[in-house]
Amino acid sequence: MKDIMGIICTNYNDDDLNQLTEDRALASLPFGGRYRLVDFPLSNMKNSDIRTVGIIMPYMYRSLMDHLGGGKEWNQYRKVGGFFFLPGSIYGLKTARSKFLLRDFISNRPFVTRGSGDLIVISGSNKIFNIDYRSIAREHEASGADVTLIYKRSYIPADSGELFLDINDFGRVSNIMHEPDGDACCFLDTLIINREMLLNYLNWYEALTYLDLMDTIAETLSTVKVFAYEFDGYAGSINSLKTYMNCSIDLLDENVRDELFIPERQISTKAQDSAPAKYLPHAHVRNSIISSGCIIDGDVEDCIIFRDVIIERGASIKNSVIMAHTVIGENVCLENVISDKYVHIQPGVKLFGSCDNPITIEKRSNI
Amino acid sequence: MRKKECIAMLLAGGQGSRLGALTRKTAKPVVAFGGKYRIIDFSLSNCVHSNIDTVGVLTQYKPLVLNAYLANGSAWDLDSPDGGMHILPPFETEVGGEWYKGTADAIYHNIDFIEQYDPTHVLILSGDHIYKMDYNEMLQFHIEKEAAMTVAVIDVDIKDAHRFGIMSVDDNMQVVKFSEKPKNPDSTLASMGIYIFRWDVLKKVLLEDHDDPNSSKDFGKDVIPRLISQEQRVFAHRFDGYWQDVGTIESYYEAQMNLLEAEPAFNLFDDDMRVFSNSNVFPPHYIGKNATVERSIICNGSTILGIVKNSIVGTDVSVGEGALVEESILLPGAVVEENARVIRAIVGEEAVIEKNACFCGGNKDHKIALIGDKEHFVSA
Repeated sequence: MKDIMGIICTNYNDDDLNQLTEDRALASLPFGGRYRLVDFPLSNMKNSDIRTVGIIMPYMYRSLMDHLGGGKEWNQYRKVGGFFFLPGSIYGLKTARSKFLLRDFISNRPFVTRGSGDLIVISGSNKIFNIDYRSIAREHEASGADVTLIYKRSYIPADSGELFLDINDFGRVSNIMHEPDGDACCFLDTLIINREMLLNYLNWYEALTYLDLMDTIAETLSTVKVFAYEFDGYAGSINSLKTYMNCSIDLLDENVRDELFIPERQISTKAQDSAPAKYLPHAHVRNSIISSGCIIDGDVEDCIIFRDVIIERGASIKNSVIMAHTVIGENVCLENVISDKYVHIQPGVKLFGSCDNPITIEKRSNI
Repeated sequence: MRKKECIAMLLAGGQGSRLGALTRKTAKPVVAFGGKYRIIDFSLSNCVHSNIDTVGVLTQYKPLVLNAYLANGSAWDLDSPDGGMHILPPFETEVGGEWYKGTADAIYHNIDFIEQYDPTHVLILSGDHIYKMDYNEMLQFHIEKEAAMTVAVIDVDIKDAHRFGIMSVDDNMQVVKFSEKPKNPDSTLASMGIYIFRWDVLKKVLLEDHDDPNSSKDFGKDVIPRLISQEQRVFAHRFDGYWQDVGTIESYYEAQMNLLEAEPAFNLFDDDMRVFSNSNVFPPHYIGKNATVERSIICNGSTILGIVKNSIVGTDVSVGEGALVEESILLPGAVVEENARVIRAIVGEEAVIEKNACFCGGNKDHKIALIGDKEHFVSA
């Protein structure tokens, strides 16, 4: 099999996540108790033995850099290959929906030309799934494709911001659309492309830098061999508060956890070395995910609780996502709440959001 | 190589035979403790928090799991380009190969390793105690006293003193007498098995001890008495924190049960001097719809569907529907199947208590039930 290298795009417009992305990129949004969204594409690359990964950085990269460090956790701290941090550009109005900004590739062309891989996996950073790219790369090579787009068949509402594929009987992509057409083949923002073909695109469209790489692929479907690969495991997509909440709550489903946290293909993340979680005598926890370092003495039901959260006696938390280092005082009631890191909720506070419209609490606030 | 002020040598080669089934397959320093930790984590974390960046780990008894766990030391930030962690097993020379015959003999065989760093002082540690200690404070004491050697000591109850190496000191904390497990102790200062030597003193005494056919090559039994008899400046540095030897099943069990207290004597949650471990990449744990967890410690990767009370649950443990776990320690990877009962027991790593089985120890004064790593216990 040909050598594969990876590119992860983290340069997104993420206005729909309100305060959650105020001082961090979508890629470093905390998820699932101990992860950040970027852990999923990075771990997929690690588990596929990809040893060179370029990361197109967002404008606001402090939080992401803090998380990525030297890349040791994803086996990218290496003499040969490893992480390459590629500067991303500032957004313009025309590119508000873009994920793979063409100009970010053009300005980082040396990474593509100098890299050792003949195949490149390009991934976004807001989709959550566990995949081995190697089997797809083998199919990609066998089919003689220039580009293979990875998709999942699923029901997705029309205004979701996703891309949808029309696929002909030979597995070839015939159309790329912004609205689903019947049986929705939702693009998972992940593709495999021959390096030569990526360089072709960068040359052909050099003058049209406001485009997205996907626009250029859509324009050339008749001449370039673009195939589709169906992924059938769990895939979550996060681009709004509602989808963030839904994907979080999905983790309470055993089948979802089994498809996401596969022992042979573990999701790696920065280790924090918190103590184990401690349950005190009045803890009452049901159907929840609890991370290390928590000290729990209250009621918790249908929740995702991140690291080092303290829940005091008499507190009742339902259907909520509580991020790291939050302190929840005695007799606090929370329902349908997303609480960012380092929040302090004073005793007796009651907050009720709804499933479709969860209340978000800003980082470091004191309520 | 840059000269070092102080390097550490960590004795991790002992079997820990009193831990029974827990050390059947692995060395004692790598036995799990407190859910996600292994006993050696405490000493290694102390080193890094004390800015000691060069640590030789002496291994001998069943080292494979220990070696894999230590890896290159990066989990404790001990993968330093000048120094770092080095695993030191016994090796062969032109005059043949030998096992380490005692704690002092193990250091003797690694004199060349220590000389590479040309240290002024050498810290000797053992990898089988639970404690958080800043070795720098002890080193400062050692330097201020211009000591040849300093022993860390802790005050023990007079009725327990016969179990320890006891130091008698003068007003200046200089050791005047050392008695190993004395019948009639005249002091309550017990040696913690932590020593700082001036390297020139240590090297000389190791060479002398090696040539003494009557020596058992042990620091406590031979080296310290030899230094005192030579009237060298041997001092005792008093440590006030928590320190626990977990050499027996009972002390291993009790030390962990104490972690469940609201204000435990040993606080894992204390952020300064956080204990590092070579932690896995498991997802956070999941507590099921019908589960109950009270007064317990639970680690990443575990799934709890039954009842867990007053227990320590390690990494990647599974407790099935209808199962009951009480006053027990489940080591990493243990499985308690549906409707099984585990009471006052220690379940080894990846051991399985099968469906409907009852694996229970006796009440307070009776034995704790123990099953070793990877063993299965079936319903009678």
